[in-house]
Amino acid sequence: MIDRVKRKKQNKTLPGPLLLALSLLLIFMWGCGSPRQYIRPDVDIRSIRKIAVLPLETLTTDEYAGEKIRGMVISELLTRGVDVIEPGEVTRVLRELKIRSLGGITIEDIRKIGKRLKVKAVMMGSVGAFGISRGITASYPEVSIQLMILDTSSGNIIWSAWNTAGGPSFWTRHFGTEGTTLSETAREVVKETVDALF
Amino acid sequence: MDLLKKYALTGMLCLLLLGAGCRSSMPSFHVRQDVDFGFIKRVAVLPLNNLTNERFAAEAVRQVVISELLASGLVDVVIPGEVKATIDRLGIKSVSSLNTKQIKALGTALGVQALILGSVEQFGMVRMGNISAPNVTITLMMADTGSGSIIWSVTSTGVGGGFMARHFGARTETMSETLLRVVKEAIRTLAKY
Repeated sequence: MIDRVKRKKQNKTLPGPLLLALSLLLIFMWGCGSPRQYIRPDVDIRSIRKIAVLPLETLTTDEYAGEKIRGMVISELLTRGVDVIEPGEVTRVLRELKIRSLGGITIEDIRKIGKRLKVKAVMMGSVGAFGISRGITASYPEVSIQLMILDTSSGNIIWSAWNTAGGPSFWTRHFGTEGTTLSETAREVVKETVDALF
Repeated sequence: MDLLKKYALTGMLCLLLLGAGCRSSMPSFHVRQDVDFGFIKRVAVLPLNNLTNERFAAEAVRQVVISELLASGLVDVVIPGEVKATIDRLGIKSVSSLNTKQIKALGTALGVQALILGSVEQFGMVRMGNISAPNVTITLMMADTGSGSIIWSVTSTGVGGGFMARHFGARTETMSETLLRVVKEAIRTLAKY
């Protein structure tokens, strides 16, 4: 009987800490999320073992952002056992096909690139943010990327993902601790995005 | 005392949820009621009109719109390069003022049932009292390539610094997060149909 009363008392004290934990979780989870992605239903995208990664379009003031992210994407794909065509080889084919603007690559171009590089899929995309942004009390890195995989036979988008990372952490904002660097943030966003696929 | 603690914690939780819910205003949108959106399987997202001082704003928003349309599973999207090449081939100089004939011609050439066009009105930081927060405003429209008329239109806006950020020092969104939220809210109005 005494045991039951004790247990009842213990149960009564549970909702408080639980609610507090839930509230803290909500605060910490604010802004967290996995990349938004699309996978074409009729395609087994995970069976792709060889891919060409085209230069990424840079939509930031850092003109090398596209190349920096591209290098990270290639390295992430390689660590997952996906064979990646050498970037130099891709550049050579783009030059041969007289493709000057990355934003102007057509379906026909994709087909030609696929044929010349002997790949069934090419990856392309853009870097929307890559830099240090100023917040209320702190500066923080911000990186956002968009990646797409295109089927070289049809020119269709078979996978697409958009992801972002960065922002001021709780400790940086309130206690001035050192946050993540721009490179760490870039690596995080690339890893998360490629993780979603392979 | 226990009861008071419980009420205080419940109140805090409600405040958090309210704060999260109050962060943005609902986008204002128009959908033509006599149109069956089920027939739209593939769309082309045209370059957006940049009405900001940010050089890459329109293209950055366009990429998120393409990604969100695909991720929502609503429609298939033509690759941006194909759209650009077709616009050039048809000799269209400005996509911000397309006439019915041009909309139909683009639809036929790209093999799409609808075109997405629009503009970016705000893309930058704004001051809100003692804080700075990202602010994004976009307008998107869908034009039926069969008739050449606008069948969906939405204006969505968002500010990164919400209630909790302004009053309790909670985390503000980054520009990218605000952008994603604004685009998501805009496309959600289409998903209902």
